[in-house]
Amino acid sequence: MITFKLNGRDVSIDVPEDTPLLWALRDDLDLTGTKFGCGVGQCGACTVLVGGRATRSCITPMSSIEGADITTIEGLDPQGQHPVQEAWKDIQVPQCGYCQSGQIMQAVSLLKDYPDPTDEEIDGVMGGSLCRCMTYVRIRKAIKKAAAALRAQTSGKETSHG
Amino acid sequence: MGKLERIAARQDRSAGLGPTRRGFLLTAAGSAFLFGFARSAKAAPVFPQAAADLPEAGAFEPTLWCSIAPDGWVNINIIRAEMGQHIGTALARIIADEMEADWDKVRITYVDTDPKWGLMVTGGSWSVWMTWDQFRQAGAAARTVMVAEGAKLLGVAPAACVARNGHVIAGQRSIAYGDIVSRAHPTRSFTPEEMAKLPLKPASERRLIGKQVRALDIPAKTDGTAVYGIDAKLEGMVYARPKLPPTRYGAKVVSVDETEAKKVKGYIRHIVLEDPSGTVPGWVAVLASSYPAAIRATDALKVTWEAGPTAHVSEHDIIEHGRAQIANKEGGSCVFNDDGVDEAFAHAEKVVEHTYTCSSVLHYQLEPLNALARLHEGKWEVHCGNQWQSLFLPVIAKALGVPETDVVMRSYMLGGGFGRRLNGDYAVPAALISKALGGKPVKLIFTRSDDVQYDSIRSPSIQTVRAAMTKDGAFQGWQHHAAAGWPTRVMAAAFMEKGADGKPYDQFAIAGADHWYTVGPMRVRALDNDLADATFRPGWLRSVSSGWTPWAHESFLDEVAHDIGKDPVSLRLSLLISKGRNAGSAPDSVGGASRQAAVLKRLAEKCGYGRTDLPADTGIGIATTFGQERGMPTWTAGAARVRVDRRTGVVTCEKIWLVLDAGTVIDPDGATAQTEGGALWGLSMALFEGTEIENGNVRDRNLDTYTPLRIADVPDMDIEFLPSTEKPMGLGEPGVTTIAPAIGNAIFNAVGVRLRHLPIRPADVLAGLNKAG
Amino acid sequence: MGVGVGVIKRFLAGAAAVGTVAGLGFLYYTWYPALPSVAPPAAGTFTPEQIERGRIVAAEGYCAECHTRTDGTPGPELAGDYRMETPFGAIHSSNITPDVATGIGSWSEAAFKRAMRLGVSREGEHLIPAFPYDHFTKMTDQDLSDLYAFLMTRPAVHLEPRPNELPFPLSLRIMQAGWKLMFFSPGEYKPDPSHDALWNRGAYLAEGNAHCGACHTPRNFMGAEKKSAQYDGAVVDNWIAPPLNEHNPTPTTWTEEELFQYLRFGVAPLHGPAGGPMSPVPHRFLSTVPEEDVRAIAHYYADIDHAAERSKHDPAALALAMEQSRAGLIGPNPDPDAKLYQGACAACHYNAAPAPVLGRPELALNNALWLDEPTNLFQVMLHGLSAEEGQSGVAMPSFYNALSDADMARIAAYLRRTRTTLPPWTDLEKKAAAVRSTVQSVPVNSSH
Ligand code: FES
Ligand code: FES
Repeated sequence: MITFKLNGRDVSIDVPEDTPLLWALRDDLDLTGTKFGCGVGQCGACTVLVGGRATRSCITPMSSIEGADITTIEGLDPQGQHPVQEAWKDIQVPQCGYCQSGQIMQAVSLLKDYPDPTDEEIDGVMGGSLCRCMTYVRIRKAIKKAAAALRAQTSGKETSHG
Repeated sequence: MGKLERIAARQDRSAGLGPTRRGFLLTAAGSAFLFGFARSAKAAPVFPQAAADLPEAGAFEPTLWCSIAPDGWVNINIIRAEMGQHIGTALARIIADEMEADWDKVRITYVDTDPKWGLMVTGGSWSVWMTWDQFRQAGAAARTVMVAEGAKLLGVAPAACVARNGHVIAGQRSIAYGDIVSRAHPTRSFTPEEMAKLPLKPASERRLIGKQVRALDIPAKTDGTAVYGIDAKLEGMVYARPKLPPTRYGAKVVSVDETEAKKVKGYIRHIVLEDPSGTVPGWVAVLASSYPAAIRATDALKVTWEAGPTAHVSEHDIIEHGRAQIANKEGGSCVFNDDGVDEAFAHAEKVVEHTYTCSSVLHYQLEPLNALARLHEGKWEVHCGNQWQSLFLPVIAKALGVPETDVVMRSYMLGGGFGRRLNGDYAVPAALISKALGGKPVKLIFTRSDDVQYDSIRSPSIQTVRAAMTKDGAFQGWQHHAAAGWPTRVMAAAFMEKGADGKPYDQFAIAGADHWYTVGPMRVRALDNDLADATFRPGWLRSVSSGWTPWAHESFLDEVAHDIGKDPVSLRLSLLISKGRNAGSAPDSVGGASRQAAVLKRLAEKCGYGRTDLPADTGIGIATTFGQERGMPTWTAGAARVRVDRRTGVVTCEKIWLVLDAGTVIDPDGATAQTEGGALWGLSMALFEGTEIENGNVRDRNLDTYTPLRIADVPDMDIEFLPSTEKPMGLGEPGVTTIAPAIGNAIFNAVGVRLRHLPIRPADVLAGLNKAG
Repeated sequence: MGVGVGVIKRFLAGAAAVGTVAGLGFLYYTWYPALPSVAPPAAGTFTPEQIERGRIVAAEGYCAECHTRTDGTPGPELAGDYRMETPFGAIHSSNITPDVATGIGSWSEAAFKRAMRLGVSREGEHLIPAFPYDHFTKMTDQDLSDLYAFLMTRPAVHLEPRPNELPFPLSLRIMQAGWKLMFFSPGEYKPDPSHDALWNRGAYLAEGNAHCGACHTPRNFMGAEKKSAQYDGAVVDNWIAPPLNEHNPTPTTWTEEELFQYLRFGVAPLHGPAGGPMSPVPHRFLSTVPEEDVRAIAHYYADIDHAAERSKHDPAALALAMEQSRAGLIGPNPDPDAKLYQGACAACHYNAAPAPVLGRPELALNNALWLDEPTNLFQVMLHGLSAEEGQSGVAMPSFYNALSDADMARIAAYLRRTRTTLPPWTDLEKKAAAVRSTVQSVPVNSSH
């Protein structure tokens, strides 16, 4: 039995310890927004947040997430309206969409580390997320847009708190 | 119905999606609910639905293609696969514009494979082009009835009414489409002949086409609720993974040892597949209660095969086979074989000849192949994303040994197509496994290396271009010979075209070579590389042959230009003359070569072609094509600026310019997105991708050694569409076509090295530099 | 993974040689009497304050790490039976709960202290020096009393450890005596008056109870710590325990603050997370003891590695590392090795100036790239880090199935080439295979 937090809820699941987190999410917990692309940690389609950091779920064994706090695309925002998701819609980033859950989760993590990312920082961090439809130009744009929105949100909060 | 399915169904009801649409399907939304995020479905439903559920009660359905419900919602049926082109949105815009619908009350339905839908194929950039007339007529039909019935309800003559934004308006008064349906209960329907006679709106009256729109499929692709084939789930289903034989054809299972596999918890059994359709010879499937267990057990299962005859074939063998085919004057089929070609070459003052090759390319569509199959209420159901249902449904029926009417395919979103899912071969083993289990639901998933090994790759190719010329550089004749594997022969022989000599040929293994330049009598010969066909299953890959034929003729034209001391742009312009067969014809190629000349001119202006102030080792190269096919030309000109590192041989593409004339552009943002994606595919195949056949299989199986372009490799891009009100052409692929030759030409302009093989590797550039001294 | 396994392996390598020594007739010096068995202390014998002090002593000596079974079905804490695989056969640690039949329930405080100070069991048998009594001998009487109080108030667990699988003559306890004679000098820690109290507290803990040298000091051919090479680093459990002195090769210095962060929270901002056999030290133990003790250990080692002088170069080293972090990632690059690194690693390990972000371990600064061998780099690639290791709550995936030996070799070579100034490693593919062969639990392979 492995216990962890998933999208804000405590979850215990009985799967073999060596099961990749990806398959436990998709098949045992029915959260199919997280995708299987390469299975070798090199496309980013399966990216989820573990402890707030983007992590490739396809090669993360369940044994290593005991007690961790995990967020999937489904749990990023209750209405699917996280600023990164909003930017993704405004810029019309997705084509086939298959890589986009992973791109979005990676971008969320990127923006925590680099709230005002340069192109280089975007390339450096997002380079692990393959988009076979090649939506890269829009990914860059949307990240910048989301960054601005997030910064506005934070500075708004700071002001309102005095 | 399981618990989650009930919840999902309840959610559907509350979201207004009807009670039964998703009864068979347990989706992500179902458990998102469990995790506290019941989300109402936004925009259009994206879930595959049984067509029988539609239309809703009381809806008016003037044609097969759309219906108007009493609540005013317009539903549009989409038979094309959604794989990133937002095709449902683009097609819905066509109907909605013509019928004057309220866009905020439009939704789309992806339908199943009922024969009533006709040919179901999504590829070749055809969707908009094929649907344009039909959907405008369908929209006109709906509008005609709405105006007629609305006028009656308003008590005026139809001529006094206009239709706008989902309403029929007469002066100050108006009535909504939904009210017309609920009050007048119209039932009129139209035959195709009647539809064809309806008057259509002039281009100036278009209100949705050509305007910015939010694609209906996008929101679900940002929150994890979009449902792809790999997400399909049925109660009681088991998981399967294929164990692939050493060769694509001719392998036989000698023995299977499951001792180790049995030790894997969750292993159920293995099945040696018997396939009357011949799609998966020598396959073994491994079944387990979970997919990780299936992965493990497949690794543990020991199968001994007798390999087929291609077990030792290499890429080199295939290319050399093609080279020999080209050298042989006999064989193949000619697309053009104009009178006087041989004459011209026999008397030419000068003959220029060069040969160009391209490596194998993988689709690597991001969603690995998968299919779910079961026997349900007497029908075999196959759930998967697919681009050409009409092609593979009969193959599945043959494999199962049942009539085609007993098979239905349910379409899901595609995690990338790029032509891979035109070939539905992956659905066959799923059906066979389910059959072996008496119709129990089975989900077959390929791991990535399974997917790649079973890919229908873009065949390696070899092309020789020859020009007969006068001493002062005038073209007298032209030959283009191309040898490659022929996907259409292998998978859809009936769709092959007939050449000038009456012999069938694969238009998708030569299109692009039949260009619009006036260069004297032409021979364009397509050769089926049968060694390639025997070794792997050649596939259609984004922009198919137009992804590699321009590599030959557009590189060649630059070579000639430099040879005879002419500017490559003006040389091309001098050859793009709207005369003879290059004059074009209505409705598809109005204007002919002159439109190609126009995009090239505009491109040369934009990129500053010929400027002399570029930094050292930097160059701009151009190329131009007509997109996919002569019959459906998207006039395209592309330029690339590259920098060559003389020390490492690394070529950096700094900027790409593209100018296109695709006729009417329905959805400008979508068109740009498709072109951006296409251009980057072109760049990726020019500098980053490419594999080789080694021992009968592709060498690179995953991203550790296969290296498609990533975000840091993206250059600046400047894409422009020339305004046009002509019939819309395709845009899924033309972005690809010019990039590789533009880069090759740019490298030459930068450092004087001519490369004739794709992909361009630093080592080849270095070798060229060394040779040049 | 435990701190003890490598210690015993290294010891046993030398123990084979001890046979001859033992045969020379020093038995006389090595004989100890059995001490009388006593009834376990009654409830209420120890004050809660003493027990709490004992808990801290136990944590600072990581007792539970080597005295709790982890293989198969994990066992109750401190009940022993921790299996250590050695080239000579498996050994199982003893039960140190107060169970009379199978634990130390019948041990008097005197017997317990004798074991800690002299490596002799209550029955008078020599203990295998995998039990690092050569360090524990430095502990104060007070600490030992407190530890005794703590252990004797743990729940008694009836658990007989599996028998050791050592071959003859290593199985003879008397064999250990000769070793003791040659390499063991008993005695409590003597404060160094030339240093302040904090330093002395750190030295007392580090040299004694925390037994750092057991892993970080190389051993001689007979398995004893080499005094002349104290803290030069050594191989433990197929990992390299890096040097703790000025020979530590990382470009930025292990300053007191870096050491403190690392030991207290499992991650040093400029060096990265604790992994492998080191992982439990911060999270399981040092995060539960008084902060001043951790500070003291950090203070001591900052002196040992001469951080004060060496850290002058840190700003430049940091700037260089930040520059190197971008290598191959910025701008188009068809280099397949750069692409592999970009796909597999950079999303987490890329850093931009001015300094690495916490949770983005900067490989250009990490021990793993700067050691003489790629062992640790390969270990981390293969195992990843669980949410309980390194930075708490954050996990690094396991690339066991994602990267072939050749892929691992390519990444190692690429990183060494682009992110250090050191000569290339050799035989990388072979070394990758060797490290891979030591991995015990293999995750499911989603890739082939
Ligand atoms: S599927 Fe996990 S990184 Fe590709
Ligand atoms: S949108 Fe299709 S793979 Fe990224």
